[in-house]
Amino acid sequence: MSIVPKETIEVIAQSVGIPSLGADVAVALAPDVEYRLREIMQESIKCMRHAKRTVLTVDDVDSALGLRNVEPVYGFASGDPLRFKRAVGHKDLFYLDDREVDFKEIIEAPLPKAPLDTSVVAHWLAIEGVQPAIPENPAIDAIVPPTENKRSEHGKDDGLPVDVKLPVKHVLSKELQMYFDKIAELTMSRSDTSLFKEALVSLAKDSGLHPLVPYFSYFIADEVTRSLGDLPVLFALMRVVQSLLRNPHIHIEPYLHQLMPSMITCIVAKRLGHRLSDNHWELRDFSANLVASVCRRFGHVYHNLQNRLTKTLIHAFLDPAKSLTQHYGAVQGISALGPSAIRLLLLPNLVTYMQLLEPELQLEKQKNEMKRKEAWCVYGALLCAAGKCLYDRLKLFPGLLSPSTRPLLRSNKRVLTNNPNKRKSSTNLSATQPPLKKMATDATANSMASASMGGNMQGAMDGFWNQLANPGVMQVSSSGQMESIPSAAIRRDQGSDLAQRVSAVLRQAWKEDQDTGHLLGSLYEVFGEAIFSFVQPPEISLFV
Amino acid sequence: MEDEEMEKKVQQYLQRKGFRLTELALQEERNRLSTSANSDVALARSDNDPARYHDGYSRLRTWAYSSLDQYKHELLRVLYPVFIHIFMDLVAEGHMQEARSFFHTFREDHEVMHSRDLQKLEGVLSPSHLEEMELARSFRKNKFKIKLCEYSYELLLQYLQKTQALVVLGVINEHITFEVSAGQPSLISDDADVVALIGTSKDLAKQINQKEVHWGLLEDSVEERMEKALAESDKIEAESKDADAEDNKKRNAEGGKQGASLKKAKKDKLVGATGKNVRTETSMVSVAPRVKPELTLPATPVEVEQSILEDLRNRAQLSSVALPSVSFYTFVNTHNGLNCSSISHDGSLVVGGFSDSSVKVWDMSKIGQPAKMSSSQSENGSSQGERISTLDEGKRTYTLFQGHSGPVYSAAFSPFGDFLLSSSSDSTIRLWSTKLNANLVCYKGHNYPVWDVQFSPVGHYFASASHDRTARIWSMDKIQPLRIMAGHLSDVDCVQWHVNCNYIATGSSDKTVRLWDVQTGECIRMFIGHRSMVLSLAMSPDGRYMASGDEDGTIMIWDLSTGRCVSPLLGHSSCVWTLAFSCEGALLASGSADCTVKLWDVASSTKTLKTEDVKGSSANRLRLLKALPTKSTPVYSLRFSRRNLLFASGALSLSSS
Repeated sequence: MSIVPKETIEVIAQSVGIPSLGADVAVALAPDVEYRLREIMQESIKCMRHAKRTVLTVDDVDSALGLRNVEPVYGFASGDPLRFKRAVGHKDLFYLDDREVDFKEIIEAPLPKAPLDTSVVAHWLAIEGVQPAIPENPAIDAIVPPTENKRSEHGKDDGLPVDVKLPVKHVLSKELQMYFDKIAELTMSRSDTSLFKEALVSLAKDSGLHPLVPYFSYFIADEVTRSLGDLPVLFALMRVVQSLLRNPHIHIEPYLHQLMPSMITCIVAKRLGHRLSDNHWELRDFSANLVASVCRRFGHVYHNLQNRLTKTLIHAFLDPAKSLTQHYGAVQGISALGPSAIRLLLLPNLVTYMQLLEPELQLEKQKNEMKRKEAWCVYGALLCAAGKCLYDRLKLFPGLLSPSTRPLLRSNKRVLTNNPNKRKSSTNLSATQPPLKKMATDATANSMASASMGGNMQGAMDGFWNQLANPGVMQVSSSGQMESIPSAAIRRDQGSDLAQRVSAVLRQAWKEDQDTGHLLGSLYEVFGEAIFSFVQPPEISLFV
Repeated sequence: MEDEEMEKKVQQYLQRKGFRLTELALQEERNRLSTSANSDVALARSDNDPARYHDGYSRLRTWAYSSLDQYKHELLRVLYPVFIHIFMDLVAEGHMQEARSFFHTFREDHEVMHSRDLQKLEGVLSPSHLEEMELARSFRKNKFKIKLCEYSYELLLQYLQKTQALVVLGVINEHITFEVSAGQPSLISDDADVVALIGTSKDLAKQINQKEVHWGLLEDSVEERMEKALAESDKIEAESKDADAEDNKKRNAEGGKQGASLKKAKKDKLVGATGKNVRTETSMVSVAPRVKPELTLPATPVEVEQSILEDLRNRAQLSSVALPSVSFYTFVNTHNGLNCSSISHDGSLVVGGFSDSSVKVWDMSKIGQPAKMSSSQSENGSSQGERISTLDEGKRTYTLFQGHSGPVYSAAFSPFGDFLLSSSSDSTIRLWSTKLNANLVCYKGHNYPVWDVQFSPVGHYFASASHDRTARIWSMDKIQPLRIMAGHLSDVDCVQWHVNCNYIATGSSDKTVRLWDVQTGECIRMFIGHRSMVLSLAMSPDGRYMASGDEDGTIMIWDLSTGRCVSPLLGHSSCVWTLAFSCEGALLASGSADCTVKLWDVASSTKTLKTEDVKGSSANRLRLLKALPTKSTPVYSLRFSRRNLLFASGALSLSSS
């Protein structure tokens, strides 16, 4: 009936030191307690309203108690709204988290900063009824479609349809101009400072930047073409693009056509940065992801967006005259678009391409260390892409692995039985590690075994692979390469008919119902052991 | 023994069935029996004493009036049937004298709703009359049905049980059935047939609203003189183009349908037209009747008058097609402490009242330069350290007024900006001089927190509203209030002066707005229609309309002369903290906790009223012209400057961080 049951009164009585309260006393008190509670609530809500708030605070309750001549409740004062936590196991029981604080901690803690003093800032909320797009004002809902139907109605009414649009002169406020200049300066010269990071955050969050978007897109397009040799600048520009894309208040679609070429340039340009030490791989990866995110976001609006992109990328990939860095960019670009793009575009051309790539990979045939390094990068990217695709397939159709692939895996068994002891020990070691990591350690163990074969190459490779973003996966791929070199050599010995079969399978890869087992097998033929790091343990067990 | 067992069983039965009233009656009867056994004298006295009826009823009445706001109106419904039946009981028992005195003491309460019945019952003078009279018999035979919510019902039971109000309990048991509904109490305005609050019954309101209100403007005001001067200079011009103006006026009056297109097509022509139209409008305002001030008004200094005239000359004409510019003053780093803010008439001073009992005044005309400097510096690439240092150099950017000993709930500038009033939960009002930066007077009179204080349009006088359910009128030179307006049934939350200074309006937690005559202290209008606490009020500059905003976000425009609602304005989703009419009364601006400033078209409404005159409220009469959202700042106060620039202020509140 009432909100306060008599049990509550009994509990409260006990808590204030009255062990046994008469049942009738509790019954009599309960309604009165409820009434007082409601009264206090009513008064505290009044106090809250007069403090122009919509959230009740402890102060309101205290002043309500004051109004009723009751001693306030001490110990709950807090400037912020209280944070209640739900008691575990109860739907509507909440409590305040009251931590125990050690005096020593408080005494020894450095003095907190003095809170900033109150101040007043003025801005124009509206000028003659129109809200200026300045950061102080909320974003205008992404460009209201012009009221054309209204206008046509007026035209009917008038009998003289006046619909002459004068060229709109774009007036940029002084503040926005300064903002733009500042951002441009930071991007061009001081992209390594923390200020630039703040600028990026501002670009990604501030409303009212919309008028600047055409200027930014022009600036980016212009600077990318001009400073292809300056890696930090390119990187900074791409980060600016990323922030602009992230900003929810900006309507970026009309400017995509200007931004896309710059982004693609940063993926597949022949040379990015003029120094050898420049890590342009990272920039390519970054831009690839950026472009992929654009495709994901606007792909459904502009249907040919992805088509045009992939056309550019595959063109770069398939042209043997292009440099390896361009190939790398194309592979990364495609792989960022997702597994289906990989299946459709990369896998069918994989075998042919590998034949092209293989001589570049080998120490004996490619004496230029720089070139070899690049080749390995491409190889790693391809492996990653293929693995990603495979992983995706397996996730989608876990049952697709059929035992018919067994015959293909003879060599696999052989490799694995090479070092049973080491395998065991490493398995023990990595029992608690996630599967991928486990595979990595396994692979590392394998590569250790063949370290003598890899020899001097190992050192050279470790050097630059470590720079890459995902050391876990890359470790796998690098070690996998070690493995694959001998096996690839063996495979070639086995004859070209196998290669043909493999390429046939891969060509079919885009078909949805393609047997994943075949796919895995074929990929194994191309990449060797390394591809297994993309397969989850249960499936692996099918083979081992 | 058997008896006791039986009684127990009966009680159990009643409990099981939930016949609580019967159970109570049984208990009481038993108590009475036992006490009567002990003291026959007491019984005889109490049984025969007709005074106990009187006492019982008056106690019930007092209790009902002091109950929780939310449930009050439901509990008050019980009073009428109890009143009637007590009266008839008294008559039936033959206490004629007592019956009459009882009737006359309390008839006022029910006069409004039930005057017919009361007139009839008044004639009942002997027990035999009760038998004869149709009405009395039907009362006796039938039971009253009263709808209550669960908690009101419980409250009533508790009261009856606790006070052992046997008489009343008997009457209620015998003649009233309750329909108890779960959940929230019904809304006052929803039931037409409730007695409701003493004043809030619609008929009483109607009766009160019969009284005359002179809503006209003051004679010989600065504005009037200004207009006269204007009229003279424009006379010749106006005459020559009179026909044209008439034409335009008509076209404009015909309204928005064609108007908008016309305006687009013939823009330059329209500019002239609006200009003239506004001219005719202002002259329309001047047509508003003139009244003599009832208070002795202070004289305006000449230089102030000059500046006002200057402002009036430069006033921007606002209308539905010419919206105002809005300058927003945002309080930052308030740490949830800002309770109220107010802006002076010229927009140069902003005051904030804080919960730490301080009052802070910013001079925006001075704050402009250093603020600009610091901002440009920070944009030149200096980091935060420098900004702090500039802050240190300038030290405080505001003037701090300390004196209150509780949260400051309201602050108001005098019309010329030289004085500042603040009211606080320490139940005092303080007068500060913005010239001397000092406290001048502390007005003590209220017994509870003072929620609101407002200067009269001419200064010198001011009105306050308090938790003690009164509004008071003060003058700056006396420390005692001049008038006390009592009548609201709950806190008076806001107060506003009428433009001619003869009236004040008050908004209250009892969900009504009342208009009071300053001279007599009488309530002369009662405006019923809000469904929650009234938070803000504004008077139109022509003195004819009043706007009020409530906790739910509803704004109502009232016609002062008829006391009726012209139009409810729906649009805000949270408390309407502030309202302001533009200087020529064409626009209404409202600021709310939902972080928007909204502009409403008032001019169109008044015009249609002129033509159609008496037609009830139609929903679309007042339309929303523009909603201006702020980023995350609830709007605490609004002020149209004399030049029609709109100033708004609020405290930045970031909810998530």
